[in-house]
Amino acid sequence: MRRVDCMKAVAPLTDGILCVTTQGGATNEWNAVCPSDGNLQMKTLGLGSSVGLGIALGLPHRKVVVFDGDGAVLMNLSGLVTVGWMQPKNLIHVVFDNKGYEASGATPTATAFHANLTELAKGAGIRSAVEVRTVAEFEQAFKRALAADGPHFITAVVEIAKEVGQHTRYDEVENRYRFIRHLEKLEGREILAYPADISRAM
Amino acid sequence: MVREDNAKLLLDALKRTGVNFVASLPDFSLVRVVERLFEDKDFIHVPLSREEEGVGVCAGAYLTGKRCALLMQNAGMLNACNSLSTTALQFQIPMLLLVLYAGYRGDVAFPTLGQVTEPVLDALRIPHHILGRVEDAYEVFGGALVQAYNMKKPVAVLMAKWIF
Repeated sequence: MRRVDCMKAVAPLTDGILCVTTQGGATNEWNAVCPSDGNLQMKTLGLGSSVGLGIALGLPHRKVVVFDGDGAVLMNLSGLVTVGWMQPKNLIHVVFDNKGYEASGATPTATAFHANLTELAKGAGIRSAVEVRTVAEFEQAFKRALAADGPHFITAVVEIAKEVGQHTRYDEVENRYRFIRHLEKLEGREILAYPADISRAM
Repeated sequence: MVREDNAKLLLDALKRTGVNFVASLPDFSLVRVVERLFEDKDFIHVPLSREEEGVGVCAGAYLTGKRCALLMQNAGMLNACNSLSTTALQFQIPMLLLVLYAGYRGDVAFPTLGQVTEPVLDALRIPHHILGRVEDAYEVFGGALVQAYNMKKPVAVLMAKWIF
């Protein structure tokens, strides 16, 4: 199973949904398959679950999807514990587990041996945690996660991509402004406000 | 152990600045503050297991319009250096870093932490201010918040142990 085929299968389901992607192939492929100002392209490896949690808590009425990788998740296992503690109903954490550090030479990660991300997620308190191995299974698990309260965790076992695609054309600061403006439109309220109330009081 | 009234004064000051989202890890001095955060419905409180995640949680919440603070000890602030660099600074995310300043003047523990904390913040180009009196909390928190939004980056308030 290829990561990009999984993404193609669920892209039509993500209208109005915010997508956080981990750096490398996941970011490049998702932005090629489903370009949107609602995509946030992470730079800190492992922080996907944490940033996704922050967005999910700030917008509890809106679904938030994290497209992550095994190497990144292993760098921030405590992020899973915090999701398990907070139980955000609207967070869907998808981990494409290719069992290697794909973007940095494809040497193996711990999931190539004895570590199991689905069991780690369950152990962290994310009860809806499943592993899928075909695109059809992935699409079904994703649809289930959209329809039911979470948090959800989906481990999609994929092959290492032969190439990790093109980098997106804009930088983090433009990503930040595009994402916030996109949210302002979706939510119909101002987000990028200067704290004038406090500066007046100082 | 922090005195109950000071924990309340600090959180009241934070509330007046409009901060409504706090991620935290306890320090012995911060216990009363963290206990109140669990009870106080005016804040969304996210208890962390490691400080680095807190930068991500606050960054995500900021993007939705929350005013965020990350409460921790300075050892934990060192844990958070990568995410401060590659998420908070690189994406220009304002947030308050409320840091219990272990190893500061008069503290007989954590000598190394006391020496590296301010140089690390300087290297990250994160402005920092000392809070040495509870009565100054609103002015320092509020001023740091305005500065954070103005500069579009985290600003740290280093809190002396004796205020707790």
